[in-house]
Formats: sequence, C-alpha cells, structure tokens
Amino acid sequence: MTKIVLLGMNHRTAPVDVRERFAVDATGSVLRKLVDRPEIAEATLISTCNRVEVVVTTENADAAQHVLYDFFARDLGEGEGPSPGALSEMTYLREGRQAVEHVFRVASAIDSMVVGEPQILGQVKDAYREASDAGVCGAVLSRLFQRAFATAKRVKNETGIAQRPVSVARVAVDLAKQIFEGLEDKSALLIGAGEMIEAALVALHDHGLGERRVVNRTQANAQALADRFGGSAHALDELDRLLPDSDVVLTCVGGDDPILTRERVERSLAGRRGRPLFLIDIGVPRNVDPGVHQLESAYLYDLDDLQEVAAANEEERRRESERAERIVYEEREQFEGWMVALQAVPTIRDLRDRAEGIRQSEIDRFAGRLGLDGSQVDTLEQLTRSIVNKLMHSPISRLRDETDREAGLVRLEEARTLFGLDRDDDAREDAPEDAPDDPPDDDPDEESRA
Amino acid sequence: MYALQYIAAALYLAAGVGAVLGLSLPAPKVLRGARWGLALGAGAQFFAFATLHRNQPAPSLTDLGYAIAVMAWLAVLVTLFLLTRIRLPGFVPPVAFVGFLATFAATLGRPEAAATGDVGTTIPHAHVLLASAGLAALGIAGLAGFFFLWEHRALKRRRSVARNVPMPSLEALDRVNRVTLAVGFPLLSLGVLTGALWLDAQMGSYFGGSLHETWMVIAWTIYLGLVALRFVGRQGARQAAASAVAGFAFLIFAVLGARVVS
Repeated sequence: MTKIVLLGMNHRTAPVDVRERFAVDATGSVLRKLVDRPEIAEATLISTCNRVEVVVTTENADAAQHVLYDFFARDLGEGEGPSPGALSEMTYLREGRQAVEHVFRVASAIDSMVVGEPQILGQVKDAYREASDAGVCGAVLSRLFQRAFATAKRVKNETGIAQRPVSVARVAVDLAKQIFEGLEDKSALLIGAGEMIEAALVALHDHGLGERRVVNRTQANAQALADRFGGSAHALDELDRLLPDSDVVLTCVGGDDPILTRERVERSLAGRRGRPLFLIDIGVPRNVDPGVHQLESAYLYDLDDLQEVAAANEEERRRESERAERIVYEEREQFEGWMVALQAVPTIRDLRDRAEGIRQSEIDRFAGRLGLDGSQVDTLEQLTRSIVNKLMHSPISRLRDETDREAGLVRLEEARTLFGLDRDDDAREDAPEDAPDDPPDDDPDEESRA
Repeated sequence: MYALQYIAAALYLAAGVGAVLGLSLPAPKVLRGARWGLALGAGAQFFAFATLHRNQPAPSLTDLGYAIAVMAWLAVLVTLFLLTRIRLPGFVPPVAFVGFLATFAATLGRPEAAATGDVGTTIPHAHVLLASAGLAALGIAGLAGFFFLWEHRALKRRRSVARNVPMPSLEALDRVNRVTLAVGFPLLSLGVLTGALWLDAQMGSYFGGSLHETWMVIAWTIYLGLVALRFVGRQGARQAAASAVAGFAFLIFAVLGARVVS
C-alpha cells in the first residue's frame, strides 16, 4: 500500500550552519539517485534557507525511513554532516497523514519562521517543478503538491495570515499606504545613507516610490545611495528647502540632538496646504523631535513604534494561523479520501478478477463434462456472469463508498483478507484441483435450484 | 405595486449584511458580492421610480418618503461610481443600510398628494432631484470625513488599523471629501433656489419663514463657509473631514429634524 514519508530539518530542529550543509541547489540529480533505490517510488526535495525536506512515496515505510536517513547523511550531507545519532535528533520524520499535513502547513507558511511569509509557496512550487522535470514525481506526489498549492491559496484568501506585515521595513510601507493613495507620485527624503535607510528604501522602492532624494553629512555616501536607486544627492544644509516638497521622510543619522525639530517641521508643513507628511525615524538616538507627531498633518513613527506594530501584527498572524490549521485539516481529510480511493482501485480490480477467474474455470470444467453445445454454453455464461455481477455489486459499492470515510483503509484490508486477494496467485493455482466435482453444500445455486 | 421597492430594499439589506460580513470575516468575495447587491438594488430602485406612476394612488416625488428614497438612490450611485475609482470598501455597509431604510420607509404609509401650486410638476421635481443629489453628495463627503477621522485617530495613536480588507488611504478619503463637496454644494444651492421658486409660486414669497426653510438657509450658509474654507482658505484635511461630518449632521437636521421638531 502506497505511503507518503517525509524526513526533514528546519529552523526549529537544526542550526543554520547544519542546515546549510544539507541545502541543495539543483535537486534533480540527487532525487534521481534516490528514486533509483527500490524502496522509493517518487520523491521531492524542498531546500530553502530555513528547511531541507525530502518527501517520498513508498510501499514499505520502514525500509524507506532507513533509505531517507542514509540519503540525508550521504547524498545531502556528503558524509560531512553530524553523526547518525545527532542527525536523527536534528531531523523529524512524518508518515502518512502527518506527512500530508506537514507539506500543507509548509506550503501555507504556517510552519515558517515568519508565519504567513509569501516566499515559501514559490519555493515549494520550484521544488515540485524540479522533481517533475527530473521525472521523479508521480501521481501521488503530484496530487499532494497540487493540493498543497490549493491549500496555500485557500489559507491566503480565507485568513488574514499574510495580510499584516511583520518586518519593520514592510510596516513602514504599509503605514505609508494607509496615508497615501499610491507611492508612485510621492517624493521621499532620506536623511542618512546607512544600511537601515537602504533596507527601508528597498521596501519603498519595491512599492513604486516616486522621487528619492538623499541627504547626508558625507555627500559621497549620499551620492552612492542615490545612484543605486536612481535618486539625487543633496547636502545637509539643503534640508529646509527639500522638506516642504517631501511626502515621506526617512531618517537614520548619528547625533544626540534631533535633526528635525518640531519648529522645523511645522515651518515645512505650512507650505504643504494640509497634505500629510509621513516621517519614519529609525535613528537611535531619535533624529526627529517626538513633538512632531502632535502636528496635525504629520505622522511620525520611530523604530519602537514600528517594532510595536510589527509585533502586534505577528501576534495577529498567529491568531489567524489557528483558522489556517482548520483549512489544512479539511484539505488533509480530502487528500486522504483520494489516497484511499486510489488504494481501492487495485482491490476492486483484484476482486473482480478473482470472481471472473473462478467463474471462468467452473464454466470450463462443467461445460465439458455436461456436453453442452455452443448456445447452451452462451446461456450458462450469461447466467453465471449475472450471478457473479450481482454478488459482487454490493461489496464493490460498499468499498467505493467507504473510501470517502476514515475507515476506508480498514475496509480495504478486510476485503483483501476476506476474499483472499493477497493470496490470489495461490488461490488461482489451487482452485481447479481443490474444487469438488459436485457443488459445495453452501453453493448459492442450491438455493436457486430449490 | 410596491414589489420593485421591496426588491430594492431587500437587495440593499443583503448588500449591507454581506458587506459587514465581508469586512469582518474578512471575505473579499462576499464583499464583492455585496457591491453587486448594491448595484442590483440601485437597478431595481431605478425601475421602481420609472414605474412609480403606475401605483394607485401614484405618489409624487415631492412626497418626503420618496424624496429621501431618491437621495439614498443617488448616494448609492455616487458610491458605486467612487468604488470604481478608489478602494472604499468601508463605504458599502452604511450606504447599503441607508438605502434599505430609505427605500423601505418610502413604501410605508399613504403618499400625500403633491402640492405643486401653479408651476406644474417641473419645479417641485427639480427641487427634489437637485436637493436630493446635493444631500447625497454631501452625505458621501460626511462618510468620507468619518472614515478619515477614524483612520487619522488610529495613526496618531500608532495603532494599526484593520487591514485585512484594504481600507481607503487618508489621501483617498480627503480626495472623495473634496470632490463630493465641490459637486454637492452647487447641487444643494440649486435645490435651495428651486425650493424658493416653488415657494414663490405657491405663496407669492421666496421665503415662508417655516422652521425647515430657516434651518435650510442656515445650513446652506454654513456649507458656503465650509466651501470657502476648503477651496479658498487653507483648511487642513482633518478639519475638512470634521467639517464634512458636522455639516452633514446639521443638514440632515435641517431637512428632517426641523420637521420633527415642528
């Protein structure tokens, strides 16, 4: 019976220096190597900076586990990773429904370091595409990943898990969007040219920020940043001239005294005719007088404010992830139904084959002995086929119906045992010899003859 | 013959409930459905007005209930137009519920006979349509002002506004406020003017001195001041928002409250 098995390590189970040793760029060749093993039918490898996970399908879960540990140690770790004991502590193994649920949670970013982050879905899609291109992703894993993408879409659309930004830079962008209709026609004034300013500028730039002007004590640094983002560089003494035309002000410069005092900002607001001014102060100590926030059209957020909003948003995402878990549960149930239905197909086929085999062998035996002519054999064929179909109809229908339920796999096992389907070959060989010449006492034909 | 009004009222109610659900769940699809409900309600109400003359007895547009229904219908149309331009999902519930109440209220009670004097129906109907359109636009300005004050307060308190469903930005709300004030005030002025003409035709005087007329003149004067402050003076966005809310509250009192008081 096909089972899904997953072995992985992530940011919670292994430190980054271990994870990076197992990370793989091109997964196709290693996956082909894995699928060459007889225990593994299909395989996919998700390798990101926060996780390395191998998902496989197998007919023998115990043997597959050993293969996967071996694969991790030899092929991914190239023998340089931790000892087998340490490796088992740094990894997690999921089987069956737990594996399915895990894949759905990963794709939906519930399992991510930053819950709801958007990159993971793309990374899982890439992993699936590479496995498909390498020809190691069959019907089961294809279905699993398609459902994982659908689950991620539902989680994104039906919950607020990805709505609220959790990084300081994204929070700043989100606040800017709360104030301004669009950033395309807005002008930004950047006071400072350090890494923090650059990170915030990247986020604003990604959202289509219009004009960028960089002011810095060292004008060469301002020029370098302006050149990278297509802006203009200015000296610090131009600040009063630039301020009234700026919609977004980003500051992060050294110095004990605020560079933007309340009076300075108030003067610049006078020329703005009530247009709002958004100030982001990420300097420590602060570069903008906190009193600026009391000015009517000025909205000042310092680093603490942004971090507070980010923390509140993260908490909100966690709350939303509970709703996301319910969606994952529903989708997992549906996928399991599909898996059971998939398992039911060979059982139903075996059952039909077995019944047809018995019917055919009995016809052959009795037709010769009774000396029946062609038309009589045809009639007998019709009669026995009708009896077999009617007898098989109920158990086959029941098996099909049960695949939708949790007990579906148990029913399949029972059916295989009850009808001796796992001993099918033996039964076929034994049937002619063991079968009595006369119909048995409990032959259903007895009843019809009576 | 009130079937179309009932259908319009039901559609507005469904749109309002859908919009509240869409915003609170949040469920963008439900919110989109609510917008369609609002549009269908406006369509049904249009046909209700178009077939008004078939009612027995046929109500006049000058009937207060119908005048309010016209105002609500125009407010719905303005909102639908703005929704195509700006993200204003928060506007749908209040507009839909006002639409429902106004449409449903218009079907209650027997309509009064139209008092038209000797000016036919042109001036009274022009008065109702122009004043209703002005009220609708200024109502939207008030609503934009309310949302502006709400978001401004949240930003000043440094609390993240619920962003599950995209809310309009302060800039967008200010723009809606400015545009609807610019459109609504001339319409209101024409409504007041045609009202005076109607009065003159009925009573031989442009001003009868009733409570409604007195308060309307005061309301119009206040709006004149607000428009001057907004477009000639240097009124900030927050004051403009507060003015729009207060101005519309005053206007509603002048139209409805004064009748109740009298």
